[in-house]
Amino acid sequence: MLEARLEQASILKKVVDSIKDLVQDCNFDCNDSGIALQAMDNSHVALVSMLLKADAFSPFRCDRNIALGINLTSLTKVLRAAQNEDLLTLKAEDAPDVLNLVFENSANDRLSEYDLKLMDIDQEHLGIPDTEYAATISMPASEFKRITTDLMAMSESVTIEASKEGIKFSAQGDIGNGSVTLRQHANVDKPEEAIDIELSEPVSLTFSLKYLVNFCKASSLSSTVKICLSNEVPLLVEYTIAGAAGGGSYLRFYLAPKIADE
Amino acid sequence: MARTRSTKGTTAPSTSTTTTKTTTATTTTKYSLPAESENPPRVFILPKKATPAARIVTLSNPRYARPSRYLVCPEAGFFEFTRISAPKTAPRSWLLEAGSSAAAEAQTTKGAELYLASPIDPLFLVLPALAGSGQQKKRMFLTSDDHFDALSESSASSHLSEVLRWPGIRPVLERRMAAVCDTVEAGDESMFRLNESKLLDEILAKTRRMSELGFPKSMEEKFVAKVLEAPILGVRSSQAVKPTGTTTAAAQEEEESSATQTPSAADSSSESQSTVSSLKTSASSLSESSTSASTPATSVDDDGTEPVISNAMTAPAEAVRLQRLRVSFNFICSSYVAPPLAAVLKDKLAEAKDKADFKVLDEYLTQLTELRQEAVAARAVDYSRKHTLDEEEDERAEKRRKKEEEDKVKKANQSRGVNKLKKVNTTGMKKMSEFFKKK
Repeated sequence: MLEARLEQASILKKVVDSIKDLVQDCNFDCNDSGIALQAMDNSHVALVSMLLKADAFSPFRCDRNIALGINLTSLTKVLRAAQNEDLLTLKAEDAPDVLNLVFENSANDRLSEYDLKLMDIDQEHLGIPDTEYAATISMPASEFKRITTDLMAMSESVTIEASKEGIKFSAQGDIGNGSVTLRQHANVDKPEEAIDIELSEPVSLTFSLKYLVNFCKASSLSSTVKICLSNEVPLLVEYTIAGAAGGGSYLRFYLAPKIADE
Repeated sequence: MARTRSTKGTTAPSTSTTTTKTTTATTTTKYSLPAESENPPRVFILPKKATPAARIVTLSNPRYARPSRYLVCPEAGFFEFTRISAPKTAPRSWLLEAGSSAAAEAQTTKGAELYLASPIDPLFLVLPALAGSGQQKKRMFLTSDDHFDALSESSASSHLSEVLRWPGIRPVLERRMAAVCDTVEAGDESMFRLNESKLLDEILAKTRRMSELGFPKSMEEKFVAKVLEAPILGVRSSQAVKPTGTTTAAAQEEEESSATQTPSAADSSSESQSTVSSLKTSASSLSESSTSASTPATSVDDDGTEPVISNAMTAPAEAVRLQRLRVSFNFICSSYVAPPLAAVLKDKLAEAKDKADFKVLDEYLTQLTELRQEAVAARAVDYSRKHTLDEEEDERAEKRRKKEEEDKVKKANQSRGVNKLKKVNTTGMKKMSEFFKKK
């Protein structure tokens, strides 16, 4: 039996909006620590990992491990019926056929209730080890979004170069080439606009821009984004789920680097 | 072509003056015809034994309780009329010559109807009164007067009371009533109560007479030969051998002597279009067991030299006789007896095995039904094979449709972003499982 109440429906709405263009169907794994999600895109080159900790809900009750197989497009349709400020309650039986969603609007005492049919999804779960990245960059989510969309105009892929000088995004395409370089930058008044670069060794990797643009849909979740790079390992793009109470809830994207084949 | 009113006015009188009484002349122009008579002459064939005192009267029809015309003669008894008319597709008319009576002019009639008077057992006419309304639990002994009163009450337009005053009519009716009723004497009056067993006996006697004389050809073919005809197993030959050679011969003889009839057979044998059609209307009740034969019977001339083609089964003579008996019984019941009473009589007949045992016929008919089903099944093989082909095709179409539908649903549940990502060039990118091990 799962019963989880979110103070703000917008949190789930944003999470689902961020990943629905990357994966189609996925399991929401519910256990006593919270609700987690891990899914790959169709090409299996990108992976999304989400965790909504039990603290993010009040109350949160989940006696047993429950996998909710959900078509994200369908879930989006249902969530469209919720307003951002609505209280959202998720309910499911132990072996559920449906996920019950209740949206409560305290302002006008409106209560809407939806049952979403669940599906059986056979998904392989990958173990993601804790990795010491060669470069970890924190920057405003909007800045990262802007860079990716700007470079998208030039090319399909971007090379991210982290060095002592800063971090350089460069794209080379048919019409020419372009690059954006960011330097470490602190902002006392607005810490969310600071750019922080931690570097243990220089890295240079190339990624598909289209995937990065896709990841940037999560920008609404958080004002800052953390980008972690290491040679020979997937890029990590992490958004903390800011609205969730308690902290520790995140949405992470992993993307395999392009290895230039000569 | 279009005539004005004035020309019409002038031509019409001029031609009419020239036309004589000859019927050929009247056909020259449309306008010369004299006005149609409101009451055109009708052609009747009346029995010779009917005296001039005979009258055409209205009495209640025993079957339908509707006023119908009957010829009643104080001496010759009761006659019913059968209207024989040409089918609408072949219009005919009578050309009537001015007879010796001179009262009537020679003329033509619009229709070619012929009314044939044939004797009817007056028993049937009083039967409705004897049977009562049917709802009564117990029939009472009543005087003939009471019965007649009941009869004339039930149909207002009846001339019965008038007819009863004629000499000789009442004794005839009472005699016929006595034949089917239990009677008791009360003083100098007789009291009558219907006895259904007696009625059944009476009708069975009529039935026997009717069936033994044989049926007219059309009836014989429709209700006896066809019903008893076994299906032909060799599908190729459409030639059927008629069940019994003698029956049709008898029927043919019968049709010649159709005019003279026993009272029981009544109008049944007059070979005319209208009687046949009237028979058809009563066919539902007449041919209870008639599941129409699957192949049309082409009756063969009774040479006997014809090679017998593989009819699966020929009806035994006893079965033919019984079928004729059954048809006659049903015919009499459906023509002269009111439905509730007819149902009672049928039940009685089924019980009364000693009077008429239809066992042989019933057995034959069950066999026949089985044979027919087999024949139909044998013929259906071709169609069923074709059908399976269709089914396969249907199945394939169904599958295709299903798949399309599924695709549609899938598409509806796919986000545009996911579809776009599918087109992304992922060359040089390793799968996630290369980096992260499966749990």
